[in-house]
Amino acid sequence: MNLFGLLGVSGSALTAERVRAEVTASNMANAETTRTADGKLFQRQHVIFQSAGPASNDVTTGGMLGGSFASTLQSQLSAAAWNGASPAATADEGGVEIAGIVTDQGQGLRRYDPGHPDADKDGYVTYPDIDPLTEMVDLMGATRAYGLNVSAVQATKSMIGASLDILK
Amino acid sequence: MDITTPLADQLTSYMDLAAAQLKATATNMANIDTPGFHTVGFDFEAEMQRALSGEGASGTSAAPQLQEVDGLLARPDGNNVSMDREGLAMAEAQLKFRTGVELAKREYARVLDAIHADSK
Repeated sequence: MNLFGLLGVSGSALTAERVRAEVTASNMANAETTRTADGKLFQRQHVIFQSAGPASNDVTTGGMLGGSFASTLQSQLSAAAWNGASPAATADEGGVEIAGIVTDQGQGLRRYDPGHPDADKDGYVTYPDIDPLTEMVDLMGATRAYGLNVSAVQATKSMIGASLDILK
Repeated sequence: MDITTPLADQLTSYMDLAAAQLKATATNMANIDTPGFHTVGFDFEAEMQRALSGEGASGTSAAPQLQEVDGLLARPDGNNVSMDREGLAMAEAQLKFRTGVELAKREYARVLDAIHADSK
């Protein structure tokens, strides 16, 4: 059992929740955006979470804390023909990762604004269908979940510190 | 002559299990927003019995089998992670680990006392 691998589990959640907060912030920032890079209306985006299976070391979704460090060190050590016991370096098993960011296919809200350059022939402008209330609740959820996982990291840290106390 | 006592080995298993319990809790906390995820955990006492009975002796006890926890209320997205349960489980795992650390310290202090007995 590796306490440092545990940091990877919580770390993956921190990364995932931060991405969720970023996407929510981007949704709110673009609530009135009628033009994006591809010239279309901005569409609301969702983050899809999935639980990470064993031996997933995707750098983009976290796991670099416990995972790749331990496995990299392990491969370095075995490359140097080190004959010690080989502790299993299956890190961030049980963590969370982002399966993808999907774009909402909803229709958008039509608002009468004939002076707007993006208005259609009837004088209506289509704005993204983004509800500030939904986004704020989502943001609060992400913040709370982030805090929850930070406290898990603190717990792990105090356990690692305590186990160092055995040496004293 | 062994420098480590049987109790020290048992404490190792105890702390390993406390760390495994914290890992299960961290897994649940990490997946608090994952749709369809089910809370995982294991029977601490049963795993401790298994470790004491010599299965996986000398501190290399196999990681406990994680099972889905029954009796939790699932949210509409199929996720049944309870923040309160996990918070309590985390506090429990930490206290167990600290207990193990303190007992291990005492145990090694006793061995040191025995080593330095003649110089007193």
